[in-house]
Amino acid sequence: MIFSGETQMKSALKLETGCNHDMDENREQKLALFYCERTPESSEQDKQSLEKKYGNSIHLFPIPCSGRIESLHLLRALEEFADAAYLITCPEGECRYFEGNLRAKKRVQKAQEIIKSIGLEGERIGIVMNEHTKSLARQAEEIMGSISHLCPSPVLHPHRS
Amino acid sequence: MITAEQKPIDEIREMIAPYKRILALGCGSCVAECAAGGEKETAMLASTLRMAAKIDGRDLLIHEKTVDRQCVKDFILPLDDIIDQYDAVLSLGCGAGVQAVAEIFPDVPIIPALNTEFIGETRDQGYWVENCVGCGDCVLYDFGGICPLTRCSKRLLNGPCGGSRDGKCEVDPEVPCAWQLIIERLSKFNALDRLEKIYQPKDWSMKQGLGPRNIIREDQQR
Repeated sequence: MIFSGETQMKSALKLETGCNHDMDENREQKLALFYCERTPESSEQDKQSLEKKYGNSIHLFPIPCSGRIESLHLLRALEEFADAAYLITCPEGECRYFEGNLRAKKRVQKAQEIIKSIGLEGERIGIVMNEHTKSLARQAEEIMGSISHLCPSPVLHPHRS
Repeated sequence: MITAEQKPIDEIREMIAPYKRILALGCGSCVAECAAGGEKETAMLASTLRMAAKIDGRDLLIHEKTVDRQCVKDFILPLDDIIDQYDAVLSLGCGAGVQAVAEIFPDVPIIPALNTEFIGETRDQGYWVENCVGCGDCVLYDFGGICPLTRCSKRLLNGPCGGSRDGKCEVDPEVPCAWQLIIERLSKFNALDRLEKIYQPKDWSMKQGLGPRNIIREDQQR
């Protein structure tokens, strides 16, 4: 089977992962997006604009420093409502609390290990660092694009996995 | 402090498989300090197990609760109000905690979620080291506060063995030679003469061999 274009590639990936149902294709991915409040253009107004644009597909959680994130926050998001949970941090070396983003990175990795241990794809949890020139909206768009090939979470739709 | 680590998730899933209503019970003392069974770890494990059950299409209820000390009866007894709601308790306590809960609630299956490891010290964040074997007859005075039974790989009471290199153990080059530490420390306090004593083979009956140990203090009893 030959595919061309991004959409077809995503369809191919869904075929490989066994979720090529029409209903799954049309289902909205839900992203839980945690981000450091120092992310460019991440004011309350920017947040509301994003929520308006993506509707129920995105749940935004501003945090004073990415070091505040716990593995549990990411797990709970996946358990309760999200197909994927991501964290945006300051670039390495630029955390105003020095180590916040480095600690966050380890906690994200821990959460990834946990979900992989129960059969979920590790990429349902992720971290974006070193993107200090991109706005929150731009990064959210890129993350939404990077997870779009994922099937709906089997945690939220157990009979569709 | 008692240290522990969580068992592999597959082992825990296998043990809880027969049950549908589970209380995940954390402990706020030692296992919280070593980040294995405190409130946060209990919540993470419960969340993970709930997700795994959903993926499998299993009907599973897991509630979480953390008591201050799972090895002390007074902290366990209040569970009496809720324990009947559950088919089993998944304990994130150390081995002592698991058994204390099992003894107080003999009709409820208690499942251990942790492997209890050793008596240790928090050397740094996320770094715990064993430094006491609980031998029942402490020798730390003679050895300047460094336990050769725990920290010498060969457990030598009449050391050193002579095999260390650059202050590191020949058994494991990552481990500092306990006898080097002992001699340095006793030298600092001008107390090297304590090492002139010849130690007889350790009497391990103070630790094991006579069945489970207990301590009875009448001045502490009701």
